[in-house]
Amino acid sequence: MSILKITPERCTGCLRCELACSYMQTGEYQPAKSVIRVSPFEGHTSYAPYTCVQCAEGWCMTACPVGAITINAAGAKDVVDDRCVGCKLCTIACPYGTMFYDPDTRKAFKCNLCGGDPACAHACPTAAITYEDVATSDWLADFAAERTQRLLVGV
Amino acid sequence: MARRHLIIGGGTAGMNAIRTIREEEAERSEIMLVSAEKPYSRMVLPYYLDRSISESHVFTATAAVLAEWGAKTHLGRRATNLDTKASVCTLDDGTRLEYDDCLIATGSSAVKAPVPGAELPGVHSFWTLDQCRALIADVKPGGHVVMVGAGFISFTILNSILSLGAKLTIVEIAPRILPRMIDDTGASLVEDWLTRHGVTIRTDARLNKIEDAKGKKRLKFAKGGDLTCDAVIMATGIRTNLEWLKGSGIRVNQGVVVDDHLRSNVANVYAAGDVAEGPDRLSKSGVVHAIEPTAQEHGRVVGANMAGRGVGYAGSLVMNIVEVCHLDVASFGAWDDGKAEATVGVKRDRHAYRKLLWTDDRLSGAIILGPSSDIWTTNDVGMLKGLVQSQVPLARFKAYLKTNPFDIKPAFIAVKTAGRLLPETVLGRPAKAPGETPVAV
Repeated sequence: MSILKITPERCTGCLRCELACSYMQTGEYQPAKSVIRVSPFEGHTSYAPYTCVQCAEGWCMTACPVGAITINAAGAKDVVDDRCVGCKLCTIACPYGTMFYDPDTRKAFKCNLCGGDPACAHACPTAAITYEDVATSDWLADFAAERTQRLLVGV
Repeated sequence: MARRHLIIGGGTAGMNAIRTIREEEAERSEIMLVSAEKPYSRMVLPYYLDRSISESHVFTATAAVLAEWGAKTHLGRRATNLDTKASVCTLDDGTRLEYDDCLIATGSSAVKAPVPGAELPGVHSFWTLDQCRALIADVKPGGHVVMVGAGFISFTILNSILSLGAKLTIVEIAPRILPRMIDDTGASLVEDWLTRHGVTIRTDARLNKIEDAKGKKRLKFAKGGDLTCDAVIMATGIRTNLEWLKGSGIRVNQGVVVDDHLRSNVANVYAAGDVAEGPDRLSKSGVVHAIEPTAQEHGRVVGANMAGRGVGYAGSLVMNIVEVCHLDVASFGAWDDGKAEATVGVKRDRHAYRKLLWTDDRLSGAIILGPSSDIWTTNDVGMLKGLVQSQVPLARFKAYLKTNPFDIKPAFIAVKTAGRLLPETVLGRPAKAPGETPVAV
């Protein structure tokens, strides 16, 4: 299956992915409703987007007590709105911190790869986010390990 | 002859076991299900209570799904005896079921505090669908509801009571609320939040009796004034359903004692969910967690093992989350370990709280509170779970988190937590979607 490959070295922190994502997921241009989150590193000199890795276990999916999280045609774990009651069990089950909750709809939501045509990858002007048929990975680890050294000065 | 699996209990553990047997087995086996109730999810009853979902939404496996799974059902029946020598289970109507292997997943029941008046009509428990139905009939807009016990169960229905327009008072015998979910600091923040949202809380309140009072209920306490209300909810604890196993030879401690394959002392008898005393992920010792995620994982591991897989279980992680009036409250692992080194961050004005408990440079437990509208609360909830679950060494980030306990994400990413988590699956293979072998409709 294709997934979101993140090449953090290419990210400029422009936040277009967050706008595209929130519009696609909720119909609003509202970064707070994006399920891809850009984080700053090294005093805002580097940035990297972070989202669901579509893990094999699908901790969110197996935890859901009403079968409201399923696998969609694109192979992504996806919340079925009509089934979700908003109990938040998926938010404590997902060990990556990539489940979200919309206080307006009182339902969980997450990256569903936009059903196979991810808006964030389209919106990214530098190909930091690409939609590719590769194995999922911890895309940000080495980048972040290098670019968090300032945080550790003096601690 | 097809192998005969007997599943006793139609809750989360039992349903996950049946589904996983069908996913894993090489040859179609015979599955028998004994369940006192039609299978439904206890987790979603609060949403039925406030009518945000219909009753049909609570059922996890309808008759059609059970038929599709090919399960022979004995619904409305209880197991009363297990003859482990003959491998025969007897039901309350005398039916005898012979099995090749069996899963004990009989769960737990609500227990009322033993005070006079606890059995009066209008004094409710909230645990089963029937109890939920009874409560629905008694909670009216403008009415007054008193909840006895300020634990997790009470808090899961707190929003529902308020959204039905009732006035709510919570009374708790302990000096503070949520004694088994969060620490004193967290509890004081939640109590302050709830008071601001119009909930009356009375701690150190020992209930002496409940009386009928002209169509209402009057609660009398060891000290302090009486309370008069329209409905009482006793959320005063649960008890594992073990009594029926007396004389079966099954080894029982707090629950049915099981090994890391969730097998009891009798080789062809497994236990799962609230009734099982299975391995804790961190301590590896046997514990009864009585939480939904443990029941789900137990059920799947047993299902795979009944299908012949031989899956070892890494153990369950204690975790709880509840949202009250748009404040998220969650805890993980050994959050109450008084001996552990702890890091605390409090933003009292925002009702935000983080507590990190350390074993060397790894997180062994965590507590988190924050407004639901704060996206970082939700993200941090998951990442704290990941740090505890993965047991990733935080190395130099330990010192960073000790001074910046609200800045979890850079640490989570930089110590390569995701890379540690990615290879892990409960069954040693990617999980299947519920729809692939339908568990819900």
